Amino acid sequence: MVKLPNSPAIITANRYKWIAIAIILIALAALPLCIENNYIKHLLIMACIGAILGMTFSMLYSAGLITLGAAAFYAVGAYSSTILVMNAGLSFWAAIPLTLIIAAVLALGFGAVFVRNAGVAFVIITLIFVQVVVLAVAQVEFLGGWGGIIGIPRPDPIGNVNFATKTEFYYLVLAMLLLTIVVFNALYSSRIGRAWRAIKLSPNLAGTLGINPYRYRLLAFVAGSTAAALAGCFYAHYAQSITPGAFGGWLSIYVQLYAVLGGLEFYILGPAIGALVMTFVPEYLRMVKEWEPIITGILLLAVILFFPGGILGTIKGRQALSMAGLRSLFKSLKSRTKRNKNG
Amino acid sequence: MVEQQMVLLKIRNVTRVFGALIALRDVSFEVNSSEILGLIGPNGAGKSTLFNVISGFHRPDKGKIFFKDTEITGLRVDRIAAMGIGRIFQEPTLFMQETVFENVFSGFHRHYREPAWKAFLHTPAANREEAAGRKKAEEILDFMDLGAMRDELAANLPHGHQRSLAIAIALACGPELLLLDEPVTGMNPSETGVMIEKIRQIREQGITVLIVEHDMRAVMSLCDRIVVLNLGEKLVEGPPDKIKNDPGVIEAYLGKQVI
Repeated sequence: MVKLPNSPAIITANRYKWIAIAIILIALAALPLCIENNYIKHLLIMACIGAILGMTFSMLYSAGLITLGAAAFYAVGAYSSTILVMNAGLSFWAAIPLTLIIAAVLALGFGAVFVRNAGVAFVIITLIFVQVVVLAVAQVEFLGGWGGIIGIPRPDPIGNVNFATKTEFYYLVLAMLLLTIVVFNALYSSRIGRAWRAIKLSPNLAGTLGINPYRYRLLAFVAGSTAAALAGCFYAHYAQSITPGAFGGWLSIYVQLYAVLGGLEFYILGPAIGALVMTFVPEYLRMVKEWEPIITGILLLAVILFFPGGILGTIKGRQALSMAGLRSLFKSLKSRTKRNKNG
Repeated sequence: MVEQQMVLLKIRNVTRVFGALIALRDVSFEVNSSEILGLIGPNGAGKSTLFNVISGFHRPDKGKIFFKDTEITGLRVDRIAAMGIGRIFQEPTLFMQETVFENVFSGFHRHYREPAWKAFLHTPAANREEAAGRKKAEEILDFMDLGAMRDELAANLPHGHQRSLAIAIALACGPELLLLDEPVTGMNPSETGVMIEKIRQIREQGITVLIVEHDMRAVMSLCDRIVVLNLGEKLVEGPPDKIKNDPGVIEAYLGKQVI
C-alpha cells in the first residue's frame, strides 16, 4: 500500500483529536464508579443522548445544511421503537434496527423534497417540520395524543444485565455514543465527508468537480436523521414515558445549541462538550429557580457573541498561540545551547 | 494534423436571455481538440454567460451544445463536469477554509471507482485509491508551483497563487476541456508570463483550453484561434493576426488602445 506522509498540521490535529477523545471516554467510563448520586448519573445519561442528537445537527452542518428540526427524527425514533416494543411485541434489540430503517426511509422521502434548497428555505422547512411532527403525533389517539405513552419497558435484559439501574443504562448509552462517534468519524474521514465539506464551502466549485450537491445533502440528511432516531430509541426506553411536548419545546432549540456552544467546526467533540455543559450548567443554576432559563439564555448569548468559535474553537485558538510560544522558546533555547557548545 | 481537426466542443445557435437583456444571440462556433481558443470581447459581450451555459450553470434559451458529439445542453453542472469539462471562475472560487492540498485533493472526487460504502468502511482498496489521489494531488501542486504552500489555507494565498490553485483544482478533476475565465487578469507581467507558460504546458498534456481574457497581449501570444463576441453576438473568428487587423473588432473596442 502506498503510504504518503500527511501534512504535519493534519497529523498534529488528528493526534490531539484522538488523545482528547480517549481521555474523555476513559473519564466517562470511570464516572459511575466515583459517583453515588443517581441524579448526576441521570444527567450523564441525558448528556450522552443529547450528544448523539447534537452530532446529527453537526452532520447536516458539515454538508452546508442548517437544521432547526433535529428533534423531529428524535421523536420518530422514540415513538417507532415504543410502538414496536409495546404494540408489536418485539424485543428492544429487534426494535432498534427496524426503527432505524423506518427513520431512514422517512428521512429519504422528506429529505428528497427538503434538501432541494440548502439556504434559508431549508432552515424554515425544518423548523416547521419538527412542530408539524409534534402536532401530528399529538393528534393520533393510537400514539397517546398529548398525554403520550407511559410504561415503556427498559431494554430487554442481556444475561444478568437488565438495565434497571442508572449505571447499567449509562454504560449502554455510552456504548451507543461511542458507536455513533466511530461511524460518524468514518464518514467524515472518507470521500463522503470531503464531498460534504466541498458543497458546504462552495457548492458551485463542488459542482464543477463532478459532486452532485443534492445527492450528498440528501445523504447527510438521511444519515443524520437515522442517528437522531437512534438517540430517540434510547431516550424512550430510558425515560419510560414520552409525550409530544417533550420533543417540540426547549429540546428542539437546545439540540442546535449543543453544537454551537461546543464549537460548530468540531463535528464530533463540539456537540459532545456542548451537550455536557448544557445539561449540567442549568441544573446548577436551579438555585435561582425561575431565573434559570433567563440566565442560561444570557450565558449562551454571551458565548455566541464573544466566543463565536464555541468552547473548542476558543480553546484551540488559545492553544495555537501558546504552542507557537512554546515552539519559539524551545528554538531559542536550542540555538543558545548550540552556541554554548560551539563556544 | 489530423488530431487538430477533431471537434471537441460544438456550440450551435446558442441564445440566452436575461429578462429584457439578450446576453447571447445565436452564437455558434467550434473548439477543436488540443487547441487553445481565446474568447474575447468588450465588457458585457456575453463571454462569462457563455462559460456558464457551457458548464451548465445557465440553460440556453435556444441552441445546442455538443461535447465529443454528445449533446450536453441543459445537463446538471456535476454531470457536465463528470464528462470532462473543467472550469475556473472569474471571481476567486476556492474552498477558502481548507488547506491548499485539501483543495486539490477534493478535485479527485470523480476519479473514485470503489463504491462509497467501501470508502466509508476504509477498505484497503478504497485506501489505496485515496493514497493514489493524494500522490497525484502532490504532483499537480508541484506542477502549478504551489508545493511550498500546501498547508496554507486557500484564503491566505495572494491573488496570483489563488488563480494557480483554481487551475490546480480543475486539473485534479482530469478534464479534457478546460474553461479558463480571466486566468491572468490582475497579475503583474512576470506572473502573467509564468501563467501563459503553464497554460501552454497544460495544452501539451492534451487538454484543450477555452480561455476568456482581457489581457490582449496574453491572448494574442497564447491562442491558436480567437472568437470575438460583441453585445452577445459573434463578431468574427480566426487566428490572432486576422483578429488584430479586423476593423470590426477595433470598432467594437471603441478605439481603446488594446490591440
